[in-house]
Amino acid sequence: MIKDVIKQIDQIATAEPDRVAYDYLGELNTYGDLKKRSDAYAAKIQEMNLPAKAPIMIWGGQTFEMVASFLGAVKAGHAYIPIASYSNSERLTMIQEVSEAPMVIAIDPLPIKMDQIQVLTPDEVVDGNYTINEKEFVDGNDNFYIIFTSGTTGKPKGVQISHDNLLSFVNWELTDFKLPEHPSFLAQAPYSFDLSVMSLYPALTAGGKLVVLPHEVTENIGKLFQTLPKLQFNVWVSTPSFAEMCFLDPTFDQAHHPELTTFLFCGEELSHKTAQMLKKKFPDAHIYNTYGPTETTVAVTQVEITDDILNKYDRLPIGVAKDDTHVTIDTSKGEKADQGEVVISGPSVSKGYLNNPEKTAAAFYQDDQNDYPSYRAGDLGFLDGDMLFYRGRIDFQVKFNGYRIELEEINFYLAKNPLVRYGVVAPKYNAQHKVQQLVAVVELADGVRDKYSDEELVKKLREDLSKDIMPYMLPQRFIFQDEMPISQNGKVDIKQVIKEVNA
Amino acid sequence: MDTKEAVLDILNELTGEDLSEQMDENLFDNGLLDSMATVQMLLELQEKTGITAPVSEFNRDEWATPNKIIEKVESLRNE
Repeated sequence: MIKDVIKQIDQIATAEPDRVAYDYLGELNTYGDLKKRSDAYAAKIQEMNLPAKAPIMIWGGQTFEMVASFLGAVKAGHAYIPIASYSNSERLTMIQEVSEAPMVIAIDPLPIKMDQIQVLTPDEVVDGNYTINEKEFVDGNDNFYIIFTSGTTGKPKGVQISHDNLLSFVNWELTDFKLPEHPSFLAQAPYSFDLSVMSLYPALTAGGKLVVLPHEVTENIGKLFQTLPKLQFNVWVSTPSFAEMCFLDPTFDQAHHPELTTFLFCGEELSHKTAQMLKKKFPDAHIYNTYGPTETTVAVTQVEITDDILNKYDRLPIGVAKDDTHVTIDTSKGEKADQGEVVISGPSVSKGYLNNPEKTAAAFYQDDQNDYPSYRAGDLGFLDGDMLFYRGRIDFQVKFNGYRIELEEINFYLAKNPLVRYGVVAPKYNAQHKVQQLVAVVELADGVRDKYSDEELVKKLREDLSKDIMPYMLPQRFIFQDEMPISQNGKVDIKQVIKEVNA
Repeated sequence: MDTKEAVLDILNELTGEDLSEQMDENLFDNGLLDSMATVQMLLELQEKTGITAPVSEFNRDEWATPNKIIEKVESLRNE
């Protein structure tokens, strides 16, 4: 069992400095490089006299420098907030407002000036022989990273993950999954997305390697399918959607990737169809379905998808909770007997949302029977013995291409648009219970209809929305309706709109 | 089914929009096709038109509008 994430990585660097830790499209960095560079970041950050434990925003892609700066931040005693540099500037300013971060590390150039806080760029961080006092390292209940997710009122929520939250997760992944020694991991998810943690810290604390598939490559299909066949690694980590995409590559199979022995899926529902297809392509690989909200540190349940499981279930189970964690079902929230809201208690459950006591109190609680906090996941599920099954959401949060989206956040910005009287975004599901597209159903403001064509309206609405929300939240389709269904309390009946879109 | 009809059907299913009046609209620029939807489009095209999509030589610019997609599918069919 690992006791300290940062010290563990440093120990590997000291014992085996030449071991490769990071492979970015053939550009290699060792554990020695990682220690040197993260120490340089830590020393520089300590010089900057930030308020103790204040979080640091880090803006960038999936380069080695990014990971070195994460470790630099936590070595200097500060949590980091990873923000993918394909985000819009609005998200950056909003996260700064919520987090009150006094500093941003701009691994990639910032899209806007941030004069009100300190900005650090990699060229200001000079390598040297620094010794960082281990007493300064983030440990215990102090925040290690903070990941911002979609919020319901246009304000993103920062999930605080402590060192001990992360430790519980890492020890579980290294123990309960059949991983090879010194595992090499596919690192495909952007660091602003906590699926990336499923590769990052288990790899670095086990003396393993991260094999990076950057966002710029996965966004371009030609590049993706030129790159993917050349990458070699043992452990696949992705959303099911991303694996489905790779099925298009005829060389994506065991014969061409004999070193690939383990698949870990998280972030959205793994369909029976996808698991079966994967089993056919990789008959000897271990395929794991996992589940967990960001608030409980990446994942808390796992199940290996065997032929038995495939034969037994049409809709796959999401797994058994890790030893240190309790999953219970609050049946007061479900519509069917035995089904209800999934509640998770354990040492990897977050302390709550940064600077947001209201939302924290709504989702987290501490009771006397538990040493650890409990989190109401908002997921609808049931238990069969200790095996957990997922059946949907009790609110308007969806997973789309692996991204977690609060539909109410899009609705909020849609309704702010002067062209719109009412606007509701509904998920359209396919036969595998997966969201296939986001459909915006809009009742236009008076007179708008006569002024613009539908095409012009779609273009305008999309342009306006893209200023405020992430690209993956933009609706694919807009439907203009003369009247929206209204519920008994006089508000737009969102459930009815969702029903109609899926009729 | 002719190519045009097949392509428009697939695009309609994926984007929820009838694109027959927007044959030169850039589907990547206007956000109708992201990389995930593009993959689905290629899978559907393989199934419905019998082409083998050249995934590793895939160049977005050559597939950006309904007209371009039709042209591409026809040239792949004649290969």
